[in-house]
Amino acid sequence: MTRSLVMGVLRRLSLVLAGLTVWELVARSGMFSPIIVPSLARIGRELWFLATSPGSLVEVWQSLFRGLSGFALASVVGVTLGVVMGRSAVAAAFLSPIFSGTYPIPKIALFPIFIYLFGIGSLAKVVLVFLECLYPIVVTTHAGSRAVNRVLLWSAANMGASRGRILARVVVPAAAPFIFAGFRIALPIAMVVVIITEMISSADGLGYLVMYSLASFKTDRMLAAVVVISLLGLALDRLMVALRDRLVFWERLDSYYAE
Amino acid sequence: MIGWGLLAAVLGLWQLVATRPEHPEFVLSPVEIAVHFAAALRSGELLPHVGASLPGFVLGSAIGVILGLLAGVARSLDQMLSPVVFLTYPVPKIVFLPIVMLWIGIGDASKIVIIALACFYPCFVNAYYGARSTPRIMVWASLNMGARRSQVFGKIVVPSALPLVFAGLRVSLALSFILLFSTEMINARSGLGFLIRQAESSLRFDLMYVSIVAVAALGYASDQLLLLARRRVLAWQAATTR
Repeated sequence: MTRSLVMGVLRRLSLVLAGLTVWELVARSGMFSPIIVPSLARIGRELWFLATSPGSLVEVWQSLFRGLSGFALASVVGVTLGVVMGRSAVAAAFLSPIFSGTYPIPKIALFPIFIYLFGIGSLAKVVLVFLECLYPIVVTTHAGSRAVNRVLLWSAANMGASRGRILARVVVPAAAPFIFAGFRIALPIAMVVVIITEMISSADGLGYLVMYSLASFKTDRMLAAVVVISLLGLALDRLMVALRDRLVFWERLDSYYAE
Repeated sequence: MIGWGLLAAVLGLWQLVATRPEHPEFVLSPVEIAVHFAAALRSGELLPHVGASLPGFVLGSAIGVILGLLAGVARSLDQMLSPVVFLTYPVPKIVFLPIVMLWIGIGDASKIVIIALACFYPCFVNAYYGARSTPRIMVWASLNMGARRSQVFGKIVVPSALPLVFAGLRVSLALSFILLFSTEMINARSGLGFLIRQAESSLRFDLMYVSIVAVAALGYASDQLLLLARRRVLAWQAATTR
């Protein structure tokens, strides 16, 4: 019993372990300079340094702050717009073509304009995060609030609920699984955009740390920062899933990359 | 129709703001942008910078779709690949750009690798769930009628996974553009992203807007192409669902 369990875990981790082993072997073989392929021990040491020095925690906080504030803004605006579009034909006629028309356009191209408009500080980055996150949230919320069961709406209206009350108490909860699907798409996008913008133009944040470490040939520190960013992305996604499972308790998430 | 009206209203307002005497230098009116765009097309300033995202997209999404479909039907592959893929899915792939640049240089190859890596994930995940959600009855029926495993895969699993595969392709296509322009903004000697950055730092706002419009048009056109392909390939599905 325990043996098969161990074998199962091993098989699941086999690719990761193989990758790490190959990395360490290549790093120790002396074929490449440690600048090109630093050993896992050196990356680990830099990781420890990043975790214990207050300066690097500030960088983590900067990136998190930019990503999460853009995401929070986008979630409030996006859910509102999506619900209104889903329940009002006029709003849908106005807004739907705009969103579906500009959906495939890479918003990152607007970043230089945003730098001129909002400066090179956090604001331009937060606005870009907001814009990139807005689309998936609006689209999924729109789809979700259109798919609300009519009977629920009718019975709520029949029992004397006002329009606003119906939106808040019936439509939003009924669309919640969709809304969370949008959040789940938007949250990694928020982190990607923050890191990209910090790599392009910044003096702080994790994206800056990556580029700065690269420019000063501290590859081990750069990879440690990459590990931190990856863990952060993973942790945020797990948190979002946990939040979803608490709030949307009546509909379990299937095994959609939750294994 | 109302949407087009709104778009025209926004453009008109923009035009009004941009032609007022006190507008800032970096705001160009839509008419000016259109004129510059036509000029840049004629002078050929724009053309060498279009392209290079296609190989990355094709490579990444092909590998993603194939592995995703196979992992959806083969348990051993599923147990080996899926945990790794799903674990690394929320990781922003762009952070690997510096290390890839270090390994294979700052040319197009490193961009292709990063774009392929990013395109792999949505395609894998969607193809995987597409293959797994194949109706069992169809698989049983075809096996019952004596189909070989490869036939079941080609005639049952792949077609029933196609709608989700296209959804994955669409996400990947958008991602490939985002990554193309951001890798070019971070480090490049050519490409539209580079052009935008260069125009921005040399205060050539006309060229900056022209490149941005070109990016937008390219993104929009490729998405429409993909939708067209989907309508052709999935004609049977559109007939039943819409």
